[in-house]
Amino acid sequence: MAEKKFPFANEVKLPKELEGWEEMYPVIRLFSKDRDEWEKGQFWFQDKIHAPEPLYPLDDIFQEAWQIALSGYTTRVFCIPPAQGIAQRLLGCYMYITPVAPPPPEIIGEKAELFGKRVFYVFENYDKMWEIWINKFQKLGAELEAVKVPSDLPKYVPDSEVFPEPRGYTDAYQLIESFNTAVSLIFKAWQFHFEYLNLAYLAYLMFNDAARKLFPGIKESAIGKMVAGADVYMFRPEEELCRLSRLAHAHKSVADVLRSDGPAAQKIEKLKAIDSGRIWLEELERVKNPWFFVSCGSGWFHYEGSWIDKMDVPFNYMKSYIERLDKGEKIERSLTAISEERDRILAEYRSFIKTDEDRKSFEDAYNVVRTIYRYAEDHLFWVEHWLHTIWFAKVREFGAVLQKNGLLKEVDDIYLFNRFEVPMLIEDLATTWALGVGVPSRGKYWMELAEKRKKILDAARKWVAVPGLGVPPAEVSEPFTVMLWGITTDKVDEWLKGTDQKPGDVKELKGFASSAGVVEGPARVLKQLEDLVTLKDGEIMVVPSTNPSWAPVFTKVKAAVTDIGGLTSHAAIVSREYGLPAVTGTGIATSVIKTGDILKVDGGTGIVTIVKRA
Amino acid sequence: MAEKWIYWLEEVCQEHNNLVGKKCANLGELTKAGFRVPPGYALSVDAYARFMNESGAREDVLKYLSTFSADPDNLSHTVRYDEASKIIRGIVESKKMPSDMEKTIREYYEGLCTRTKCDDTPVATRSAGPVSHPGQYETYLHVKGKDDVVQNVIRVWASTFNTRSIIARARLGLPMEYDPIGCAVLTMVDAKAAGVMFSLNPTDGDMTKVVIEGNWGLGEAVVSGSINPDRFLVDKILLQVEERVISRKTMEFVYNEKKREMEYKDLPAELQDVPCLEDKEIIELAKVSKKIEGYFGCPQDSEWVISKSLPFPENVFLVQTRPETVWSKKQKGPLLGQKSGLEMLIERAITPTKVKM
Repeated sequence: MAEKKFPFANEVKLPKELEGWEEMYPVIRLFSKDRDEWEKGQFWFQDKIHAPEPLYPLDDIFQEAWQIALSGYTTRVFCIPPAQGIAQRLLGCYMYITPVAPPPPEIIGEKAELFGKRVFYVFENYDKMWEIWINKFQKLGAELEAVKVPSDLPKYVPDSEVFPEPRGYTDAYQLIESFNTAVSLIFKAWQFHFEYLNLAYLAYLMFNDAARKLFPGIKESAIGKMVAGADVYMFRPEEELCRLSRLAHAHKSVADVLRSDGPAAQKIEKLKAIDSGRIWLEELERVKNPWFFVSCGSGWFHYEGSWIDKMDVPFNYMKSYIERLDKGEKIERSLTAISEERDRILAEYRSFIKTDEDRKSFEDAYNVVRTIYRYAEDHLFWVEHWLHTIWFAKVREFGAVLQKNGLLKEVDDIYLFNRFEVPMLIEDLATTWALGVGVPSRGKYWMELAEKRKKILDAARKWVAVPGLGVPPAEVSEPFTVMLWGITTDKVDEWLKGTDQKPGDVKELKGFASSAGVVEGPARVLKQLEDLVTLKDGEIMVVPSTNPSWAPVFTKVKAAVTDIGGLTSHAAIVSREYGLPAVTGTGIATSVIKTGDILKVDGGTGIVTIVKRA
Repeated sequence: MAEKWIYWLEEVCQEHNNLVGKKCANLGELTKAGFRVPPGYALSVDAYARFMNESGAREDVLKYLSTFSADPDNLSHTVRYDEASKIIRGIVESKKMPSDMEKTIREYYEGLCTRTKCDDTPVATRSAGPVSHPGQYETYLHVKGKDDVVQNVIRVWASTFNTRSIIARARLGLPMEYDPIGCAVLTMVDAKAAGVMFSLNPTDGDMTKVVIEGNWGLGEAVVSGSINPDRFLVDKILLQVEERVISRKTMEFVYNEKKREMEYKDLPAELQDVPCLEDKEIIELAKVSKKIEGYFGCPQDSEWVISKSLPFPENVFLVQTRPETVWSKKQKGPLLGQKSGLEMLIERAITPTKVKM
């Protein structure tokens, strides 16, 4: 056991400006005296994947939902024998998580039996189950879209709700019900999210082990290439952009508008004025849902926005695609080239296996991972992007009613209240409306609270949260911890070393060798999607993390370096697809690298060297 | 006796082992398979026989041997063999080549000069025995001009009478006066760097890697082990350099124009710690290594040279290849055992990932 430890939660000193932060979140989300003993026995690390920034109270809903769903599938559905769930806590507005220590042996035994049976069934029937999954998920999204949010409360209920048959309830009630429905649908969607993900990750880990036994020198990036799917949903938004760009390119007048500078709204107006432009816009309308329901960030935070809210983003991509088509370049990824490369790598490794037994086992292991792994890539679009986009739009409808009626200053201020508080605001509005004319709400209170919370979140953003809490464990059994967060000895050691080094002194960063290749070039640090406009061809992109809406960027850059994300993170997958070197999960890239630094990125070893400081 | 005793490399292949010797047959095979091998030609073992018989060398050697007596198993007699070797090599090297042979060798050399677009193109004359006995016979590097080529071919033949060879033959009861070998006349590559490569990792037998070792100048420096070479470990499938060990390379083996001989020369300080290969050259070599392995169907140990004057990738030459013997013979047992994918999945699920602290 390590002598080294991180502070316990109660030993962490928070800046004074954060005072009152805990009131923003439900009590079950906080470290607590009554659970102190258990909490101190667990190792907690900051979840930079799902909450790299301080959490807005309402955005915390996804975190709550995944805690229940991920954990439940591991412990109660698929019953992965030694693994338990992942618990979350908030501290100083940042989220910490911990893989819960394994259960007693008798529980492991019980689970093993169920696990074998259930897992077997999934693998036998995955293709069919995926069909079922996608259907029910799309249905769920449609249900969320259909949730009725009255745009305002009427002075008097219209006649139509009174005769011939009374509706029986008012819009004030509708608001209450709708919010509850929307919340329930999010929790349900997140149940679906984990239906196959745990097994997909487990299968990856299994294949990774088998490949390592056969080829001790194999690179993680080679395994990634063997496993990655080419034709997955995550790439569809970008494919649609390519298609729309080609369509525009075929009509000079449309291409001219898209090629010009200026905001998307202006371009759309211009297109409406020409025949071919209207046809093109119709096509755009047709594909917008679902393919433009893709977040400009990770999909986890309301402030990121999606393509449909920020049409400048897809329009800028299309502008650069059209410019590339002008030059005669090909803009689409070649699916055949990707699958051929995958087949080549697989065949070459297979040719090195010496015995028939091993060949057969390897083949079998590969088939298992290939059967289910695409789920890891497919679900992401539907849940984190499509569905979250629908949710954010819906929440803004509630925000708008509350704002109109003087309970909030800004529509988006609704995100400053957690999912238990929003019903209270809605109830306040409903009550005040019902009571008649001249009755005050607690609007002033809510607005002051919102202002206070904004200040706390600002302060939290400036605070550097500790990477870990408590004593690191000797082993980890929970598949996600290893796979997604990449929690390994090296990683924890690095955190422990952590803050000793000044950012300017760092010469080399280590991360996951996510996509092979070595290149050298100037860095471009992009903290958010809006910074993209500064990116120049041939630069090395240094980012906190990426997601599907960033895909078009990968055709411009020479290599990708991320703070967060393992071998199956978006940046890793896309880089492999594009054949770009990538090092992911460095933890600190965006804080130690400055735009203009000359970097050498070795995607085969996972090392980023700062060759020259700008 | 076969009519034809001289061949362009591309005219021979592996099955001509006994005709032109192993090295020539091998290089011929590589040439024919499309690998870039320096152009050259091969003198068959019959050429040796003709020379020895027709020049009167064999007769004179026999005459001398009739007066010679020594016991090969008696170490103190080594001096006698030394003496005999000197005398016999003197006899052989003093003989004139039959004029038609000399004419043909000169014509082939001219052919090489035409092909390399260089008058007096430098060549290496190398021995090529039907059975390989590395290092037993001699090689002469940087031979220039027709006269020198003819003379050095004779020197290669005469090297069958070096001390260790005549002792070996005496021990085995083989004829002392005669040991037909082939002789290769190969264009010298103006080496920027050279070395060896294995189509597997010789350290651990990992078949998914290529290991390349090299130094500035000619490959002799690496092969003889007289300097620490640079070492590159390349992933054979991703074709990507995984590890580089850049050694301090103090000397290179090069031709001294003034002294007209090969020598070890100190390398300038600015080159000593610089990798002798560029990344694209490393990858190209790895590709070649992989191809040779595929062509011969087993791991290979090859020698390569990078030319100073030619553009990439035409500057990458192969000068020798042989099967790797150490790891190739090891038969490994199963590593996974016969398991279904789901069995492995369950195994994975119940095994915690160790994160040692």
